[in-house]
Amino acid sequence: MALIPISLKVNGTRFERAVEPRRLLSDFLREDLGLKATHVGCEHGVCGTCTVLMDGEAVRSCLSFAVQADGCEVRTADGLAQGGKLSALQQAFWEKHGLQCGFCTPGMLMVATELLERNAKPTKAEIEEAVSSNLCRCTGYYNIVESVQRAAEMMQEGAK
Amino acid sequence: MTATFPKHIPAEGYIPPSRQQEPPRKSYKYIGQNLKRVEDPRLLTGNGQYIDDIVLPNMAHAAVLRSDRAHARIKRIDTSKAKALAGVYLVLTGAEAKEMTGATAQFASPPVVQYCLAVDRVRHVGEAVAAVVAENRYVAEDACDLIEVEYQDLPVVVDPEAAMTSSGDAVLHPERGPNNIAQHRTFTFGPVQEDFAKADVVVKRTLRWGRSGAQPLETVGCIAAYEPGSGKFTMHTNSSFLNYVGWLVGASLGVPASKLNLIPCVTGGSFGSKLFTHKVMTLAGTLARAAGRPVKYLEDRLDNITSCDNHGSDRLYRCELALKRDGTMQSLRFQVIDDYGAYFQFGVGTHGNSLCQIVGPYRINSIQMELIAVLTNKCQQGAYRGFGSEVTNWMLERMADAAADELKMDPIELRRRNLIQPGQFPYVIPSGNLYDSGNYPAVLEEALRIAELPKWNKIRDEARAKGRCVGIGIATCQERSVFSATEFWSLNGTENPGFTLTSSPESTQIRIDPTGAIHVTLGSPFWGNSPETMAVQIVAEQFQVDPSQVNIVYADTQSGFNSTGPGGSRFTVMIAGAIVGAAKQVKDKLLRVSGHMMEADVGDLEFRAGKIGVKGVPGKEKTIGEVALFAHYFRLNLPAGDAFASGLDANYVYDHPLTTMPAADRSHLGIFYPIMGHMCHLALVEVDPKTGKVAILDYVAVHDAGTVVNPMTLAGHIRGGTAQGIGTALYEKFHYDETGQLVTGTFADYLIPTLAEMPPAIRVGHVETPSPFTEYGIKGGGEGGRMGAPGALSRAIEDALSQYGVRCDELPLTPRKVRELVRAGEKR
Amino acid sequence: MKPAPFEYVRPGSLAEALDALARHAPAGRILAGGQSLVPMMNLRLVKPAVLIDINRVPGLADIRVDGGELVIGALARHAALLASELVAKHCPLMVEAYRCVAHGPIRNRGTLGGNISHADPASEMPAVLAACDAKIGVRSAKRARTIPATEFFTGPLTTALAEGEMVTEIRIPTAKPGQGAAWQEAANRQGDFAMAGVAAIVTVAGGKCTHASVAVAGMERPGVRLPAVEKKLVGTTLDDAAITAAASMASEAVRPSGSYHADPIYKRELAETLTARALAAARERAR
Repeated sequence: MALIPISLKVNGTRFERAVEPRRLLSDFLREDLGLKATHVGCEHGVCGTCTVLMDGEAVRSCLSFAVQADGCEVRTADGLAQGGKLSALQQAFWEKHGLQCGFCTPGMLMVATELLERNAKPTKAEIEEAVSSNLCRCTGYYNIVESVQRAAEMMQEGAK
Repeated sequence: MTATFPKHIPAEGYIPPSRQQEPPRKSYKYIGQNLKRVEDPRLLTGNGQYIDDIVLPNMAHAAVLRSDRAHARIKRIDTSKAKALAGVYLVLTGAEAKEMTGATAQFASPPVVQYCLAVDRVRHVGEAVAAVVAENRYVAEDACDLIEVEYQDLPVVVDPEAAMTSSGDAVLHPERGPNNIAQHRTFTFGPVQEDFAKADVVVKRTLRWGRSGAQPLETVGCIAAYEPGSGKFTMHTNSSFLNYVGWLVGASLGVPASKLNLIPCVTGGSFGSKLFTHKVMTLAGTLARAAGRPVKYLEDRLDNITSCDNHGSDRLYRCELALKRDGTMQSLRFQVIDDYGAYFQFGVGTHGNSLCQIVGPYRINSIQMELIAVLTNKCQQGAYRGFGSEVTNWMLERMADAAADELKMDPIELRRRNLIQPGQFPYVIPSGNLYDSGNYPAVLEEALRIAELPKWNKIRDEARAKGRCVGIGIATCQERSVFSATEFWSLNGTENPGFTLTSSPESTQIRIDPTGAIHVTLGSPFWGNSPETMAVQIVAEQFQVDPSQVNIVYADTQSGFNSTGPGGSRFTVMIAGAIVGAAKQVKDKLLRVSGHMMEADVGDLEFRAGKIGVKGVPGKEKTIGEVALFAHYFRLNLPAGDAFASGLDANYVYDHPLTTMPAADRSHLGIFYPIMGHMCHLALVEVDPKTGKVAILDYVAVHDAGTVVNPMTLAGHIRGGTAQGIGTALYEKFHYDETGQLVTGTFADYLIPTLAEMPPAIRVGHVETPSPFTEYGIKGGGEGGRMGAPGALSRAIEDALSQYGVRCDELPLTPRKVRELVRAGEKR
Repeated sequence: MKPAPFEYVRPGSLAEALDALARHAPAGRILAGGQSLVPMMNLRLVKPAVLIDINRVPGLADIRVDGGELVIGALARHAALLASELVAKHCPLMVEAYRCVAHGPIRNRGTLGGNISHADPASEMPAVLAACDAKIGVRSAKRARTIPATEFFTGPLTTALAEGEMVTEIRIPTAKPGQGAAWQEAANRQGDFAMAGVAAIVTVAGGKCTHASVAVAGMERPGVRLPAVEKKLVGTTLDDAAITAAASMASEAVRPSGSYHADPIYKRELAETLTARALAAARERAR
């Protein structure tokens, strides 16, 4: 089976690779690039644990092939902390107890990132809609909503 | 202490004295604080190091071929095409694996034998039939597709009552008996017949608890490496029980524990389902040894849903509750048929679990249980948050509501009349277990206060006037914590009870290094509970140091001490005991050394703000770091004798704080799960009678988990547990059709609630009745809301649909099921 | 679960895509959003030998109005349609139904053309298009044709697409004055496929219903229209009695096969209940 050459940016770094067409984007990120933050929960597109941003949009990386990311800009939870410091969103999750086992957390961070990049002052209902996309088995979700609310607050304060 | 006893249990010497060293206090510096979790930063940055994140050099990947049928003999397996595929290192059938590896670990007596790959027959859809090791998981699955299996179908049994009369080829384990009954035994605790004869009213119900399961977002995995020169296995795994009975995996693999090291990983949720993942470890080890390279076997979601060996209880109850006309409960007797699936790894431990709080919070005088455990062609049961007692919680609440209806009493008032009163603790229940402390009326009143019940009543009444179906439900339930090992075997036959273990300890090592940093070793893994944060807060309290001075280390089985691990809401209580025990030794030494350094009497010294100083003399003090440096390096400046040996470290094994043996005749089961939490849940729901859809309008959960170490993390378990309880009550079921196919075999059909299905908020309150038996009076709370939600929701839906005469006696109450109940009511 | 191997083709134009489809027939399958196809591939329920990735084909994702029709390119993403002012104005029924379709990240990738080509009976959009009397523009390397939505869905997961054909556009008559439309659905969880879903459009003139269109999701095939119900409504004032009478015919007009989540009796009841509710809501909007 011929390998397909791809060139893409992941968390700001450009990579060139040759991949099997069937290589899922989730496996490409985790195994070919060693970026372990993106987790795999179901591989049939229901749980949202594997969510990454592709050209600014939240997508389920288990439902994309790496070849489809050719020429795209992908962002994962691995890239959120900058210069050794947690991002405002990560700090908010920490402050508001937005995680217990941490397995769904990267996916939640990425849907939150998409939301906050499109809308710096989301309503509670808008945050709830985003959080409803993904499954969490530990928290019951409420603290995740509060974490995103807190993050929006912190980012507004930081912007001042 | 004065205690309450049932008549059939002799009071004299029944309750051992308390071993509590640290009594509860009015205020603490670190305990009770909402400390941000120590675990979080590395999880937030993606550096958790879950099992799937670990990469070993030369590592190969395994996939299993799963059976597509529920019950069949394996006549022939042809692996030749699979072996020939490029990139495949090894293909192994069950028969081949059996030559190298024995049966997997299990705790039933007599045993029900299971192998990591099915040998001569498959007993449920999804059971592993063969395994492939290849250069990556894609190729391994391609190879699985090339394996040809010839099956000879056998009769399938999926109905638990039908399993009782199975015969011939329908019997899953013929070596165990002529039918599919794994165990059938009746237990009587107290004068049941007498109590029923004297009763005014007997309420009867048939109740069906559907099969759901933990389904954490992370599946089970193991990376096994085998070093052929030394014959030693090293395994990374997300299992618990490693430092408890992990060596059993070595037994399966035919190696002594000295040739086995199990290394725990951060785990992406368990809720019981990763208690002891022996099958995955045994399989990975077998494959690594045969393939000659490290092998990662990570279940995918299909592997896990069909074959995780940890489905929850699957029970049919026929119950009778005897009461006096004034609503006071006298006796409860029931028959329970529990469908364990194809194997029986924990025996009837989930019923031992039920018996520890079988009267709930009520003053019921006697209990009789006829227990029938059956085997069917389904994935076997394991552990799921509650381990069986969440089911009897639901059963008791259904019976209480049924009694209220029959006696035309308010369900809240009926419960009030039956609650064990604050002055009655410690309270020994008919099965022998003890409830250590509690104030159930206070929990109830607090829940009603938070809910503002008159407001809820008004909402309901106004809605009903407009023709909408709104209802209120309540559950007052127990949450036991800190299981004793006796629950695993005390219900087995007394002639052959199996391995009658009575130890379930937790251990820690505390070591202060020359700089004063405190290193605390845990022998149990992180499950999403907060073991590091709990340990840090308790250690900080013990030494009065800033939490940042404490470092948590996880021990593998080579270096770890007896540690039973999380489960049964035990971990915080047990690690507190271990830390207090180890800290005492280290603190005593710190006082000795600093007393010598400052020429002060040990009795005049105190721990304050990271220092040790003379009481009442602010300037006369040394930092713990200064004392530690001295203790490590200046032996000749300290007196002779072992008490001043170089260093500052201690190990401590903390055994169960309060457990006793069952009676030889099993007229009671001793004390086995006494650290007793309690909860009151209230639900306000609206039901659409035409579609059967249920919306939860409001929800209140008040919990008593004794002294609370971190209210924020406890509330997390209450809410998260309630979410799972909502799933169990309304959405989740492993549904097998009559041919044994698992119809709900993916996340598209096994429906885990999203935020959209949750109530707008779960309003949490708490009450604290500290335990007299544990350190600081802490009780467990990790199983949380799942223990109470099904009862509250069942009643709320019943209440909402009262005009249709609906009874919610079967879970899950899916829209289809609710509509069915309404339809039957419309016809009446 | 990993998909079986396949050959990957990425055409840069519609002509190339149709050519590839012809060349690789019957084994070639279109990859658009992949939100329905890839789960099935990961579960190894399907193993297409060739995937033709049309995501880079320009001009297939436009949303525009042409004459009296809303014209939607097959590659238009659900998210774009949900957010489109043109769709909100000219087919509000679609926007209302989209709120029941999956979740944000799925809608970011999934396409209307892909969704209807997949033809899941429980999917919402086939019912919306059938109710709207939409027309499906279809092309192959050899020809172009139009298939009415009411004829496009021939069974569960089957369409009238011939070998070598793909959907290129969907044409929907724009909403007219006097028209009201509504979507009603019963699903287990928010975003799940419909156990049953009903799209209802009514046109009212002079106080009477002059036209009605009712389509159901979750039944024996996607986008089932209910002509008996529609006929019963025309000429009435759409008062409660008329709606109840018409909706009661819905349960007999569908042939659901049922599943674990919803048996046939329940589905028939849902068809009736949701038809009544959708009609009542549509009536209010027709004012």
